[in-house]
Amino acid sequence: MSVATGPAPERTPSEAKRRKPGLVGWVVNRLGLDDTMEDQYNRVVPFHASNYVYCLGGIALVLFVILAATGIMLAVYYQPTPDAAYQSVLDISTQVQFGWWIRSIHRWSAGAMVLLVFLHMLRVFFTGAYKKPRELNWLTGVALLLITMAFGFTGYLLPWDQKAYWATKVGTDIAGSVPFIGHFLLVSLRGGEQISAATLGRFFDLHVLVLPGIILVLLLGHFFMIRRHGISGRL
Amino acid sequence: MTRSSFLKWLIGIVGAVSVAGILYPVLRFLKPPPAVSGAIGQVVNVGALSLFPAGQLTAVIINDKPAAVQNLNGKYAVYSLICTHLGCVNRTDGDTFRCPCHGSEFSPTGTVTHGPAKLPLPTYRSQTQNGALLVGPIDLSRAAYPAWYKGEFT
Repeated sequence: MSVATGPAPERTPSEAKRRKPGLVGWVVNRLGLDDTMEDQYNRVVPFHASNYVYCLGGIALVLFVILAATGIMLAVYYQPTPDAAYQSVLDISTQVQFGWWIRSIHRWSAGAMVLLVFLHMLRVFFTGAYKKPRELNWLTGVALLLITMAFGFTGYLLPWDQKAYWATKVGTDIAGSVPFIGHFLLVSLRGGEQISAATLGRFFDLHVLVLPGIILVLLLGHFFMIRRHGISGRL
Repeated sequence: MTRSSFLKWLIGIVGAVSVAGILYPVLRFLKPPPAVSGAIGQVVNVGALSLFPAGQLTAVIINDKPAAVQNLNGKYAVYSLICTHLGCVNRTDGDTFRCPCHGSEFSPTGTVTHGPAKLPLPTYRSQTQNGALLVGPIDLSRAAYPAWYKGEFT
């Protein structure tokens, strides 16, 4: 079997420079990501954006990551049935080691994320960052705000205490007041006319399966568009 | 040591401490606590069947909790003696139960015949083996017992 012989093609200086050592270099080299990575690393943050109000979206993302991690951990012990839900939450807070810590982080991060997403929206609004060509990113951002609030609403029911029960009663009653489709929304959310085991199951499903899937897709789109558009100009 | 290698070490140490600080509580969290692992009491041999005469309740202690063995013509059942009202220990009165604190009374099958208790007495899982009575974990499925009551058995 003959192999093509002859002098190996010479590397250009830039090609040689680009070869990175180590594990990261190995992966990047296999995937041919040199140009992409270099492009990502060489972004310059404009001077007007070196301001804390431009960090609000990023902080919201950090909170989301924290919420995902602590939420996965809480799901280890939480039981979404009316008989066991409240007791399992009590067990997390009183029996499980560091359970109170994980649950408190989840709870406080949840509140903070709603606040941070809202403040981020105000920043985008008042710096006019929603204008052409960034309208689509504004729309995904609005969707992300709504998803965040849906996370909060569904998560509120899960401890299955009195406050959770009545807050969900009021919230689903409001959904029921929508013209024409109100009753459909109400029974779809509650899984029946009344709040029951079906409601808890549905809210748990939304909170840990449906909403995380939707928010991941929206976040990817949101960040892709930030990269595509770059940071908006100064006022 | 050069300044850059010193800084690299510093970053590495700070990073390792940070990761350890997160991993430690996470691993401790994943270790199941005794109360949540589902093991409510162990199987206890309360003695030969001849210790429990028919037609009356015989008081026993199971996992440090008061209980009573009932012998209905060779059919054995074990009831918790902890009153479902506020947790006093019921007295046995013939084949019925009576709470000395607030006067709750329970039928031979553990159901409430007189308030203020609302919930039936739970039973222990039990079976006979080689002429002895083995008592397993308590069966709280007879009613939706409140958290404080479940705590009596963990």
